Amino acid sequence: MRQVPALPVVGSFAERLLADDLPDLTAERRHEAVTFIAHRVDTLPSFTRFGVLLIGTSFRILMAVPGGWALSGIVMRLPLPFVGEYPRLVRSLGFAYVWEHWPSTSPTGAAAGAS
Amino acid sequence: MIAQHATASMDAEVLVVGSGAGGATTATVLAEAGFDVLVVEEGAWVEQGAVVPFSLDQMDQQYRAGGVTVALGMPSIAYTEGRCAGGGTEVNSGLYWRPPGELLERWHRDFRIADFDPDELLAIADEVETVINVRTVPGNHSEPSDVLRRGAAALGWRHGEIPRWMTYPHADQPDKGERQSMTRTYLPRAVAAGARLVVGCRVDRLEMSRGTASAAHTTLADGTSGTIRFRHVFVCGGAIQSPALLQRSGVHGHIGRTLAVHPTVKLAARFADALNVPDDVPVHQVKEFAPHLSFGGSASNPGLVALSLLDQWSTFRRAITDWQRMSVYYAAITSEGTGRVRSFPGMADPVVTYRLTHRDRELLRSGLARLTLLMLEAGAEEVFPSFQGAPAVKTRRDVATMQRAFGVNRATVMTVHLCSTVPMGEVEGRCGADSFGKVVGCHNVYVNDASLLPTAPGVNPQASVMAFAIRNARRFAAGGSRG
Repeated sequence: MRQVPALPVVGSFAERLLADDLPDLTAERRHEAVTFIAHRVDTLPSFTRFGVLLIGTSFRILMAVPGGWALSGIVMRLPLPFVGEYPRLVRSLGFAYVWEHWPSTSPTGAAAGAS
Repeated sequence: MIAQHATASMDAEVLVVGSGAGGATTATVLAEAGFDVLVVEEGAWVEQGAVVPFSLDQMDQQYRAGGVTVALGMPSIAYTEGRCAGGGTEVNSGLYWRPPGELLERWHRDFRIADFDPDELLAIADEVETVINVRTVPGNHSEPSDVLRRGAAALGWRHGEIPRWMTYPHADQPDKGERQSMTRTYLPRAVAAGARLVVGCRVDRLEMSRGTASAAHTTLADGTSGTIRFRHVFVCGGAIQSPALLQRSGVHGHIGRTLAVHPTVKLAARFADALNVPDDVPVHQVKEFAPHLSFGGSASNPGLVALSLLDQWSTFRRAITDWQRMSVYYAAITSEGTGRVRSFPGMADPVVTYRLTHRDRELLRSGLARLTLLMLEAGAEEVFPSFQGAPAVKTRRDVATMQRAFGVNRATVMTVHLCSTVPMGEVEGRCGADSFGKVVGCHNVYVNDASLLPTAPGVNPQASVMAFAIRNARRFAAGGSRG
């Protein structure tokens, strides 16, 4: 059975989350990290992948409404079962990628030597 | 490479599914006893040194799902499984613990394991230790390892160096050890004795009729299907994949109902001087509170240091620039909770769940506090516990604040030790396999991996897995457990 690719579902959320967490990460590096995140979601075990894409779709819909990102932030902080796992997964994959590939990255995402 | 690629149609007298600690030893014993053995491995053959240990590249090539696998629950528990020739032995820390004698006695008693002699098992452990060269590090330990020793010594806590299955070609370079994993030891021996090893071949299900399996339906690396015919099958895919395969094959009974793990919580500690070793783990462990609670060190490349800080990124982010002065440590518990592995029709992968008990949660809380104290005693300038809402800890007084703030549902909980999904023994309704691994209700289907361990051992289980696998394979070869 053909899989739904993860990038269209998780891509915009991951872009926004990394932009918030690491505001000085260059667009190029952020895009590379997001591509990696989507690739990892594509290889998740089937049930986990289904759940991630389901939650990801919900966030994508939420982000499409005016003020959606702020609403997403509220939802992320709610103690809802499994919902909080989604941003944690995206962050984990993104941060692991960024600091493994560019270990001198600053806490705000700036490249080494960048002002 | 000694492995071959699978073909659409194969046959063997004995099929071994999986090439990790259980599968490789099983194949060796049976091939050396004259059986026609075929070992099938879902993952690829990856030469040691081809990937950096604990890197994302390694996770891509040698772990299932790139290392992103989780037991769902409150909280969910992240775990990893090796998926390559040699299985978990290629990717784990290589630390070796014999099964404790009192644990073997308890398993024997509580699960009524027949013809079980702990001395026989320990004699097998002697053999294994020679083959895989279990030894301590020559010369000085790494600084992250010495942190554990130093902190425990200051507190008067029991601690020690855990030996590893390593050779050290250069005695003056203890950080350049070569892992004596299954691709270096038992798999070449099995092949030398006539076994065939194929990689890139997933077993989807066994064809069963009245308790007898006759064929395995497979998917090859190129996506095509295949079939393997056999007389006997040993399922050695680990504590998640083995019960999942049995369930997909219509074998149920007491299969996949009692997953046991060692849950861990972690922290990152920052010291005055650089100490980070990106591609290795500490060899010291602290066992003052064992078997319930143990402390050790984790892989700590900069990506993994960032992961340990992300639960409280808003206040901990400043520390990442000091990753060379940081290392990651864990507190592991012997859990009283249980998990399940369930396969559903149409789904390639099982659903794994795990439920911590109240006692587990409290033990994780106190474990993290004690580990923090250990770090301070070892000279840490600042400690960063991995949970949302965590305060940074600089003094003993901060430890109590941290302990009060801890909530396990807000923590990153992980495990690498998975076992007990097909427990062995003779207790009806509690055991999925008999005393030698034959699956209850089946005539020629055996499990021979971590699934058989009756409970989580409280120490790294790989030595127990290998010793039991050799014991059971020898019994089979002698005719004692063949149906």
